[in-house]
Amino acid sequence: MHHANHFYGHAHVLARYCGLGDRHPPRINGYVQHGWNIGDGLAPGHPYVERTPSLLWSEQTRRRAWAVGRRNVVVTGAPFAYLLALRPPEPEPVEREGTIWYPFHGWEGQHVKGDHRELIARIRDTEPGPVTVCLYWHEYGMRRVRRLYERAGFRVICHGYRGHWWRDTDPLFLDKQLTELRRHQRVASNRLTSAIFYGIAAGCEPAVYGDPMVLADEDPTFGGTARIRRQWPELHGESVDLPTAVEIARAELGTDHRCAPAELRELLGWAHLQENDVDD
Amino acid sequence: MTTDTAAGDRISLPGGEMLAWSDLRTGGPAGGGPLAVLAARVVPAGARVLLAGPHEPAFLDRLAHAEVTCLLRSHLDGVALADRAADRAVRVIVGGPAGLPAGEAYDVVIAGSGLDPVESVEGARLGWDGVLATLAGALRPGGTLLLRLDNPVGLHRIVDASPWYADRDDAAWTIDGVLHAGHPANLDQLRGRLTDAGLTPDASFAGYPHPAAVTALVATGELDRATSAGLFDAVLHGACTGGYADRPVLQDPARLAVDTLHAGLGNALAPAWVVLARRDTATGADRADLPVVLARTGPPEVGVMEVVATTHGWHWRVTDPPARSGPAAGPCASRLAAYRDAGALTGPVPTGRLLRTLLLDACLRRDLDTLRTLLAGYAGWLESSAVDGRVAGAPALAGVDNVVVAGDRFAVLDPSWRAAEPLPVDVALARGLWRFAAVLLTGGYAHPWSSTLDLAGLTVVLGGMAGRELDRTTVAAAVEIEAAVVAALRGLDAKGRLKLADELSALEPTSPPPGPESWQQLREAWLRQREELGRVRAVLGWTEDLLTSRERALRRADAMINLLNGSVSYRVGRLVITPARWARRAARAAKRRLRAALRRRVVREEQQ
Repeated sequence: MHHANHFYGHAHVLARYCGLGDRHPPRINGYVQHGWNIGDGLAPGHPYVERTPSLLWSEQTRRRAWAVGRRNVVVTGAPFAYLLALRPPEPEPVEREGTIWYPFHGWEGQHVKGDHRELIARIRDTEPGPVTVCLYWHEYGMRRVRRLYERAGFRVICHGYRGHWWRDTDPLFLDKQLTELRRHQRVASNRLTSAIFYGIAAGCEPAVYGDPMVLADEDPTFGGTARIRRQWPELHGESVDLPTAVEIARAELGTDHRCAPAELRELLGWAHLQENDVDD
Repeated sequence: MTTDTAAGDRISLPGGEMLAWSDLRTGGPAGGGPLAVLAARVVPAGARVLLAGPHEPAFLDRLAHAEVTCLLRSHLDGVALADRAADRAVRVIVGGPAGLPAGEAYDVVIAGSGLDPVESVEGARLGWDGVLATLAGALRPGGTLLLRLDNPVGLHRIVDASPWYADRDDAAWTIDGVLHAGHPANLDQLRGRLTDAGLTPDASFAGYPHPAAVTALVATGELDRATSAGLFDAVLHGACTGGYADRPVLQDPARLAVDTLHAGLGNALAPAWVVLARRDTATGADRADLPVVLARTGPPEVGVMEVVATTHGWHWRVTDPPARSGPAAGPCASRLAAYRDAGALTGPVPTGRLLRTLLLDACLRRDLDTLRTLLAGYAGWLESSAVDGRVAGAPALAGVDNVVVAGDRFAVLDPSWRAAEPLPVDVALARGLWRFAAVLLTGGYAHPWSSTLDLAGLTVVLGGMAGRELDRTTVAAAVEIEAAVVAALRGLDAKGRLKLADELSALEPTSPPPGPESWQQLREAWLRQREELGRVRAVLGWTEDLLTSRERALRRADAMINLLNGSVSYRVGRLVITPARWARRAARAAKRRLRAALRRRVVREEQQ
């Protein structure tokens, strides 16, 4: 339904999990939460249609969404959790090495303000092994920013374009991210974000440190970075307790609430698909 | 006292009779088998019994081992009773309580309709205490009184669509409610009045679902103690579901009964109480044989099931002869999907909480982990009961309303309901889950899923929670089986079964629950419909806006294409590729012709 359902190839992952193959995913009857969220699961400013189902990652987000007036809120778990089910770890996993570092990113509508040089120095001081910096498509396209990290001797990558208005979505965005995460020992960022939780779920040791930077016109409704640090202090620092992190990541990604394929088809509105609903 | 005789020597008319009245016609008599079974239990063989007030004729059948005197106010009922008991030692007195012959003493006095219907409109009124004193005076020393008292604030009054104080029935020539100090209004007051009358209160029972038709009696002590017992949950829910099927109510009586049970108010809000009391006996004789539960579950002809307390917990005891002891024989037998075998009610009653209650609680709390554990346990238990993928007997029909859970142990509560033929285990599971989904959605319960799911969809989701991949075809088969099972248990013919199947298939999340029309649930169904309408309207508005935006984008794209079509580079390019397009078209035509020729050849070869 909403084009945000296609961000990061989420709808594509869910379609594959539901047995619909690699074809263009059918319309979803609801909003799929497209990123870890300290609010109601929807992005700020999201044009909400009354009582349209919100398909959320975690039970905590569901409670929060209900408390701010959302209805038809259902916990289905994060699309990344479904990708993990589609791609279980290799029997003989590749040797993990170094850190994959995700500088906090803005997007087309909101730019990040912060000192990248200072952040690079902090990363160099902290990380014990080789560093891969993963920039969001937006920053990756900014030659000046990308060069800063490359000159620091970091490998700089981008998982792809998340898409906008159903166009140019990289259906393998999450796949690429999972592949990269499984190559690294650690996952780090200057803010607690989806990537950290994905990294923990993919077997990385997490770390959150450095200047969290500022997002232009950041919505303070749900408390911003200060609240994140208050509520999840265990996940902040250059090194955190792994079992605790794994437990929190399971809850935040809703891994235990992952639906069975037939169950998910019903919840997404894909149980009565006509031939016309599925494009090649 | 002037005594006339009429309608044979059996009927005495000491005065005070009501000639144009029938308690049987007005639905006043004590109803249900459990009360009669209890009465039979406290009447020793050869005892002299006074049946005071109107009782169902079935009482006389139960008391065939005793010498019975009936005291009735209705002349019509007296004549009918005398005719029915023509070959038995039954005497009928038609009149008010003052008409009881002086000097007669009885071993047992039974007032199964309470004391109010013992009084006639004729003559001076004795009042509740006065009638009690009269009946107590008719007991021999050591004799037993069995008395019913209706609860003035019982569950039946809480759910009644009409207030008790506005009763307009013919029987409401006086309305004795909770405000009348001369009338006991709770169990403690009742025991006090009995003591004041020189009697010693003994065992007592809570009567459900309605004073006028008691189909379940539960020992008050056990009801207070075991407030979460699956047995009581199922018995009270079943009694209240069946007992209000034909009357409008304010709220679901079954829900209220189970809630009051869990709150420890099962006795306080029972529609009626039945007490035993002895005259001139400080301590009662051995009452160990009295049941914990006497209940008629299912249609009237299936009899009364009984549970007794033993040193090893509760046990089933068969008292009523089973209506049917196996799959029905005869030409219709193959069409019956289920039957009741009362002989299966032996041994211990499984302990634990009712699965339906546990699931509802988890749904209300949106506790997905607990739901997953319970549903997976249920599915696993069904599978463990299966042989070659098919589950037979009681487990095949054991829905969440007949399964108890203790820790990780699942068990059929009442094993007497049995499937005639083994069912595929996924169909049995889908049937159980569909039935629960119907309760959840049509009952208006809050749950963790979206309103966009229909009944079949929620069944599939519940299957997923149980770790099983159900599909809608399996769910449809399960609904067919459900219709067949219900039709068999209700004794419906083929036409009735088809009608039932249509009704079940037509159930929607916005439907009120089948059964009694509850104002609260009808309103909830209307609210759900309104919310769904609001949701669909909002989606329609959003879709219209999106369509407008997409149409605008399409127009822009069209304009761009037209612009490019007119450009020199496009025209040159088109000229360049024209031979290639012709060649492709010719190749496709040749391919088509070749395929057609091959097909014709294959057909010829097959014909040869």
